Amino acid sequence: MNENKFMSAFKQNAIWLVFFVEIAIFAYFNPKFLSLANVVNISRQVSYYGIASIGMTFVILIAGIDLSIGSIIALVNVVCAYLMMNMGWNMWLAILVSIIMAILIGVLNGWMVASIGIPAIIATFASQTVFRGCAYLLSGGLPIPGVVLEHPTFGFFARWSLNRWEIFKAMGDIGLIPICAIIMVICFAVGSFILNKSYFGRYFYAIGGNEEASELSGIRVNKMKYLIYALSGFFAGLAGIVLLSRSGSAQSTAAIGFEFEVITCVVLGGVSVAGGIGRMSGVIAGVLIIGSLKSGMIMMNVSEYTQMVVQGLVLAVAVGVDCFSKKRQAS
Amino acid sequence: MYEIDGILTPYFSETDPEKRLIILDKMPDNEALDFIREVYEDRYSDHEKKGRKNVDWWLWRCICLQLLYGRGSFFIFRAFKRHEINAILNELRMNDNDDFHIRILYHEYRNTARRYLSTCKSSGYASSFMGFKQADDKEKIYRACQDIWQMSKGIAISESLEIQNKMKVWINAFHDELMDYDDICRDEYERLDRN
Repeated sequence: MNENKFMSAFKQNAIWLVFFVEIAIFAYFNPKFLSLANVVNISRQVSYYGIASIGMTFVILIAGIDLSIGSIIALVNVVCAYLMMNMGWNMWLAILVSIIMAILIGVLNGWMVASIGIPAIIATFASQTVFRGCAYLLSGGLPIPGVVLEHPTFGFFARWSLNRWEIFKAMGDIGLIPICAIIMVICFAVGSFILNKSYFGRYFYAIGGNEEASELSGIRVNKMKYLIYALSGFFAGLAGIVLLSRSGSAQSTAAIGFEFEVITCVVLGGVSVAGGIGRMSGVIAGVLIIGSLKSGMIMMNVSEYTQMVVQGLVLAVAVGVDCFSKKRQAS
Repeated sequence: MYEIDGILTPYFSETDPEKRLIILDKMPDNEALDFIREVYEDRYSDHEKKGRKNVDWWLWRCICLQLLYGRGSFFIFRAFKRHEINAILNELRMNDNDDFHIRILYHEYRNTARRYLSTCKSSGYASSFMGFKQADDKEKIYRACQDIWQMSKGIAISESLEIQNKMKVWINAFHDELMDYDDICRDEYERLDRN
């Protein structure tokens, strides 16, 4: 029994072993991989993947999928920038409106999936196309440059720390830690709380495990689906704002193919595409693995096309392992 | 071991709460009626007080037991997990030692398991890849065995002897119901036991 418990604990945390092995390999080939500057850079790069992956985790846990998050990010980028730069809105108000819009897109996805009964993959693919088109229409296909979100909002904490100790860098960092990474950590904490400590989290697992039994036991499955897709929209919107704060320029072409990278992070983290199985700690590991992989490949001068091949293979392997383990359990 | 008056059989065979209530209302007075009614009220009431109708609280607690089985028991959280399991066992009246009550509860537990198993034939059950690949009948049966085992014996043997003893009737009821479900369940249950 103890051996079984050990093996089960090992299997649950094996993803972290993969992460550390990956780090060791990249550090062996390029010692600068573990430099502070690169670690900070990775944390900055993975932040918006991480934030979006929380919503995607909820969706995949109920055996759904959300292919619209890349388009939500692009639209949030464009709308927020448009409201600020072209209409002179206050930045907080522009962010608020953009995120509410992202939530409403999530609700629309939920409505198509839960009430109309369109398969999630088709419904969210339709959303992806529609809202990417909206982003092109609003921006005219041109970038909206000069968007500064770090001052006076995201930079608030940075300036606060600068005034106090004067040893910290400003421009969006608290000390050495990028604010976007702090936002990601807070989001992961909230996501973990929802999954592990709230009734909602338990409902997500239950719906993914056996939807009909969940319905009979009293869970309002359709309402939950609305909520989950709305949460996915919210986290995608937040990721869009973080991306905008980093790039300083809104582009309707932003985050193309982003949903597949997020799905890779989530599935790699052990969330089953069949639903009902997965943990937030695994997703964190998945996000870090993909972030490190991208950074490591760039440092090793691997071409962008090869990186795409590798990422595709990682997704195939992650889904393959999940399907294989399911098949082995059943046989 | 858990024999009951034959007059109660239709009530315990039915899984639909409304039909069960009709059977219960039509039932002639007998010694079990008060307790059965009490259990009925307990099982189908909204314990979370969210104003929901059609709640099967016991079925929900079954699902919770299965979810707790799947949750890792890192030593810091083990005490919380055990506390929650104990709370569920109390809600499911597993601390009731009255012989007569145990017999009624055994059949109510079997009814809960039957209601769960009735959902295991739906098209979406055990499907994979976001519902695109539907499971065949055999896959569904294997998955149902796994679910039933996890929410009864699986969760019990992963915990203390005290919990195992408390869950004895529950485990027996779920086991017996599963054995009536399909012929291949016996082998699968034993395989799960061995693993």
